[in-house]
Amino acid sequence: MLKKSWVNLLLLFLPLAGGVIAFILVNTFSQSLPPFMVTADFGVFGFVFGMTIRNLGVIPLLLGLFITGLLLIFYNRSLRRQEQTQMLVEDAKREAEQGRRRFLRRLDHEIKNPLTGLRAALVNMEEAQADTDRQRAVGNAGHAVERLTRLLTDLRKLSDLGERPIELWQVDVPDLLQDVVDAAHVLPAYKGREVNLLIPKVPSPFPMITGDRDLLVLAVYNLVENALKFTSSNDSVEIRVAEDGRAILIEVADSGAGIPVEDVSKIFEELYRGSNARSTEGSGLGLALVHRIIGLHDGQIHVRSSQEEPRGTVFTIRLPVTKKGFVLRPSN
Amino acid sequence: MSSNRSTLLLADDDPTIADSLAPFLERAGFHVLVVSDGVSAFEKAQAHHPELIILDVLMPRMDGRETLRRLRKAKIWTPTILLTQVGEASERALALEEGADDYLNKPFDPHELLARIRAVLRRVRPGERSLSAAWLLTADNLSLDRRARRATLAGETVELTPKALAVLEYLMTHPDEAVTRERLLEAVWGWEYPAGTRTVDTRMAELRRALDDDPADPRFIETIPGEGYRFIAPVHGEG
Repeated sequence: MLKKSWVNLLLLFLPLAGGVIAFILVNTFSQSLPPFMVTADFGVFGFVFGMTIRNLGVIPLLLGLFITGLLLIFYNRSLRRQEQTQMLVEDAKREAEQGRRRFLRRLDHEIKNPLTGLRAALVNMEEAQADTDRQRAVGNAGHAVERLTRLLTDLRKLSDLGERPIELWQVDVPDLLQDVVDAAHVLPAYKGREVNLLIPKVPSPFPMITGDRDLLVLAVYNLVENALKFTSSNDSVEIRVAEDGRAILIEVADSGAGIPVEDVSKIFEELYRGSNARSTEGSGLGLALVHRIIGLHDGQIHVRSSQEEPRGTVFTIRLPVTKKGFVLRPSN
Repeated sequence: MSSNRSTLLLADDDPTIADSLAPFLERAGFHVLVVSDGVSAFEKAQAHHPELIILDVLMPRMDGRETLRRLRKAKIWTPTILLTQVGEASERALALEEGADDYLNKPFDPHELLARIRAVLRRVRPGERSLSAAWLLTADNLSLDRRARRATLAGETVELTPKALAVLEYLMTHPDEAVTRERLLEAVWGWEYPAGTRTVDTRMAELRRALDDDPADPRFIETIPGEGYRFIAPVHGEG
């Protein structure tokens, strides 16, 4: 691809310059051919043809003109393409910069709340007279530290996911989902509730997928944890799995209040908190982690949600099934 | 009074951490020397012969990894805990070259550090090179080549996932020590998992199957109910 420069532009005119020089040389050193009557009756082409016949020097001149013309067209297109690429790169840079600023703004918000709580707790620890007040301050400080630790852990997970290779092994999805349900039992939001796990009996055995089992458990668990957190005890939470021969579909569905329309497209962004999630505890990185994990497995994740009847939210994960003849191996 | 107590050398350039950890460790019965950079840590380790060294990684003048490498080069085998993460395979290979006896990732609970210190002091024989620095570990007819990332049982290669191999490696470098599931998660997986304990148990089942180790009558890995696991066969290190 040609770059925009005066040197390049001058080079483009070289063929024309060569043609002009050849024309001059022919005219200087050769005798003109006998006159030949071709008139403008035949239009421009007749004139050019006549000129050519009368003076052979016109041939390199026209050739030079033609080549220079072609080169100018190519040069112009090349410059335009470069400008478009440059614009795309700048747009991407601007977007990345905006994303970075947005991330820092959100991070600032996520840190300042527990830190403020921690500072207040320290003051209370210092000034409180009664033991019960001091104990409460210690408890609050511990809680703030836990929140900060969780944020840091999730940030580290996100950063690790981009750096370390994932393990690729055969994963039994129904077994994995059972593990998720068992693990969810410890969640405070699980208390007094049930998570329905629906696994089809046919085909049997259920097709395997290829992936990092631990990461996939984390992804589905995060969805289940969200479903439990953002719904009340009267709502249902369901995990279901299906297959279509090429992929396995895992759905985590709830009959909760639903996600506001303006939030749906942003919920997978790092540290994004939807309008109904601001008062709920969490690092704000759970869904970003899910998105990253599913991406690393060549899968897709979609969400559909409605705040009107029939209300609820459904996250759908699509993961390719293991191809026949797959050999167990780590990804690196 | 301090002569009866084990001496620890704590090297961390963050005064908030050093000032809080030192009194905590003193209360736990240790005599604590505090330094804030790698060069001072190296000098103090040579001059005072502490029983254990706790090294932060990012420090001025000389970082923790370099300090440890120099200590080992000078044949100073004082057990050392490095305050960093050692989850990844590449990190583990690096850790081997460093020869740290254990790792703890910030932020950590001071009680966890105390547990690590006690476990390392129990495990390591003073003046001897620890198993953490050995390339080849053998226990009965099981051997683990840490460089080649391969385990063999009675000369036959054992087919293991990388995670299960890392679990085996951790257990073999911490023989006769009760290792909790949480500790395994942190050391092998690098970060906690929601289905954490189950995750560990799944890998442990895989490991036992591969090693043909009966949980009811174990040769290698014993389950400690409500606590975790213990590698019971005596381990020898080479290289």
